[in-house]
Amino acid sequence: MDILLTDGPVGISVISGLIAKAGSLKDAGGHSLFLGQVRSDVSDNKTVKAIEYSVFEKMAESAAGKIKAIIFSEFSDVRAVEIVHAAGLVQAGEISLFVMISAGHRQQAVDACRKTVELVKQRLPVWKKEIFDDGTQKWQQNI
Amino acid sequence: MEIEVFFFGVLADVTGIRQKHYNDVGSFADLRHRIEDEFPEIVHYTFRIAVNNEIVNDEPLLSGGDEVALLPPFAGG
Repeated sequence: MDILLTDGPVGISVISGLIAKAGSLKDAGGHSLFLGQVRSDVSDNKTVKAIEYSVFEKMAESAAGKIKAIIFSEFSDVRAVEIVHAAGLVQAGEISLFVMISAGHRQQAVDACRKTVELVKQRLPVWKKEIFDDGTQKWQQNI
Repeated sequence: MEIEVFFFGVLADVTGIRQKHYNDVGSFADLRHRIEDEFPEIVHYTFRIAVNNEIVNDEPLLSGGDEVALLPPFAGG
């Protein structure tokens, strides 16, 4: 399995479980983590209170596999890539994306984490609908 | 041939459905015309095409049983 899709926000127990699992990688000297959070943007005097994510699950698995293949081919020091994305409703302040890179040394752990997040945003078949405090909704694109 | 079509993101709202089965599809162009006739609003939106979970060019060759997905710009993270 190349990606874990959670029903609702990415929970702390999922994150802590993956951090604990990374301890089994005895040849890793560092882990770089990224947590994407739903931001309470304001536009037209309306505040985002949640985002509803929809995911093309069958394609997400193959897209995540390709992202991992790119990372492993570009960063020879990387030992593991973990990608977790939320599906469904995520409230402002909750976690929608978790990426963790385990590598032999810190440089590639950090660089590969940044690249993985960018590839997730470009290639993962996910769509988000902002839900505002007045009940209105708007499909949003990545900038 | 029979084709299953999936609508994602804003296109699910525009069409009011997430999935539809099409019979007697002659080609991708034929399928596209039928979708646009049924959901004329769709022509105002940008989307890419995936066949069997792989993004393809604008005029893919289809085979019976293929799954065609209409994918608006991704917005993950």
